[in-house]
Amino acid sequence: MLSPIFSIANTTVREAIRRKVLLIILLVGVVFLVIAPGLGALSARSETTVLRGLLLGVIQITSAVIAIVLTVYMIPNEIERRTIYTILSKPVQRWQFLIGKYLGAVSALAMMMFLMSFIMVFTFYLQQGQNATAALDLLKAPAMYFVQMSLLAAVAIFFSTFVSPIVNFFLSGGLYLLGSLFAPFFQTLEESQGTPAATKLFAKFINVILPNFANYNVQNPIINPGQVIQNEQQYFIQNTLYGLVYIAALILGGILVFDRREV
Amino acid sequence: MRPLAAAIETKQLTKTYKSRIHGKINVVDRLDLHVEEGEIFGFLGPNGAGKTTTIKMLLGIIYPDSGEGHVLGKEIGDVDIHRIISYVPERPYYYEHMTGLELLRFYGSLFGINDVKRFEMLLEKVNLHRDMSKTISQYSKGMQQRVGLAQSLINDPKLIFLDEPTGGLDPIAHREIRDLILSFRDEGRTVFISSHELSEVELICDRVAIINRGVIAQQGKLTELLKGGRVEITSEGVSEQWVRDRGLKDVTVRSLASGVLVDANEAEDINAFIDAVRASNGRIVSIVPRKKRLEDLFIQTVTDAKPEAAAAATKPKTITVEGTDA
Repeated sequence: MLSPIFSIANTTVREAIRRKVLLIILLVGVVFLVIAPGLGALSARSETTVLRGLLLGVIQITSAVIAIVLTVYMIPNEIERRTIYTILSKPVQRWQFLIGKYLGAVSALAMMMFLMSFIMVFTFYLQQGQNATAALDLLKAPAMYFVQMSLLAAVAIFFSTFVSPIVNFFLSGGLYLLGSLFAPFFQTLEESQGTPAATKLFAKFINVILPNFANYNVQNPIINPGQVIQNEQQYFIQNTLYGLVYIAALILGGILVFDRREV
Repeated sequence: MRPLAAAIETKQLTKTYKSRIHGKINVVDRLDLHVEEGEIFGFLGPNGAGKTTTIKMLLGIIYPDSGEGHVLGKEIGDVDIHRIISYVPERPYYYEHMTGLELLRFYGSLFGINDVKRFEMLLEKVNLHRDMSKTISQYSKGMQQRVGLAQSLINDPKLIFLDEPTGGLDPIAHREIRDLILSFRDEGRTVFISSHELSEVELICDRVAIINRGVIAQQGKLTELLKGGRVEITSEGVSEQWVRDRGLKDVTVRSLASGVLVDANEAEDINAFIDAVRASNGRIVSIVPRKKRLEDLFIQTVTDAKPEAAAAATKPKTITVEGTDA
């Protein structure tokens, strides 16, 4: 049962790491990570603070673009190139195909994020007088970004089962921005004492539907040492679990749609 | 004699698509198909006739709206059947970064098969054993088609679906693919071919079905469908009007410079015409049997259902016949 999933995932990774568009995005990200110390020196603020912000910002934006570009074309490409027919005419269930594609996408994403994180740590280590602890401390953010990007990839895979790649690009990108910018607002609205009951209900509904990408934006305590996350370990575990549940729900939804889809 | 078992059997299989402009379209309309085990079956039809849709339904990749179908005794859509069938789509794309051997390993893994010796043997069968380390991107079209056939044999299938297996290939590649398909039959496999290459189909298929606008227009043994043919008789010393006055039923007549060219079907007409020519001191110049070709049957079948296209389709044929006149 698992063998076809791993085979499809493995092939997906090998395809993904050869896609020129992804390699170009990755290269741009890497270039920005390498030149970040130079850009940080131009700022009037504390050089370390700016450098941390820049490095983490580059990783997050590059990873988000890679996650979307990697996944929106995944299913449509397989259909257009007819590869899907040779796979689904073998004893492979559609759910196995979809999960295999998703795991492949996430694995490719992990490899690319690992590379960027390594360059980030190395750059920071060299720039900050070889302070290994401070450099390694930065890794907390990419770890959470990885869960965030896996969630974003699940959103894009879900949409790719029924919309075109271009529409999917804007839908997934839009949802990522909404979930990053407005999820905290609706959360506050839901929890606030003075909010009318109807608005509270609406805010709760939005909170359930809209994936809370903001949960994973943990860069502030890393950039500004004055800020701390209370019970950091619990926060990371809780939000990772939240992400996993959301991913499972999205993949399940994608399977239900894809199972009846005419390909 | 024991009747042959059905490899494919469909009853009233129907697939409808909704179009914004045309409304509901029956892409496949109440399809009754019968393919016997161990035969090469040609599934023919013009573009958009419903061939690929039918194959996809038989493979369980898309779902029929009504009707039923069985492949090797199992209901279509049953994934278990995929263990003993295989499919090579039209103009397939295979992961270009893989070598021929890696491609077979990948498809083998979908069956849980990891027998490298078998993969090498299959590549040898399709004459790719010397190129198994090259990536698919380095393969020619013919080689890609052959590696497609090799991947289709991984599970030792009883039934193979081939969608336009020789489309876009050069004559040598045509020949190689044809020989491979014939070897599949010799190994006891059933082969279901959807194709436009009528001469190819005529050479290798045992039975054919012609589908037009989603409806089966002809189905049967090739030898029976092409039975008959016509006879062209060239004679001198008689006129076109003289032949018409003989009251022969199923003949066409054309005037030549020194006589007539009569195209007849029935033996009775042929004998009657020859007797009449001799009786009137005319001379039989030649008697040429014209075998009915699959192309003729195909064009006739398709254009019968599409009168507006009939004139265009038959026009070149008329020119060929009249060439003898010139």
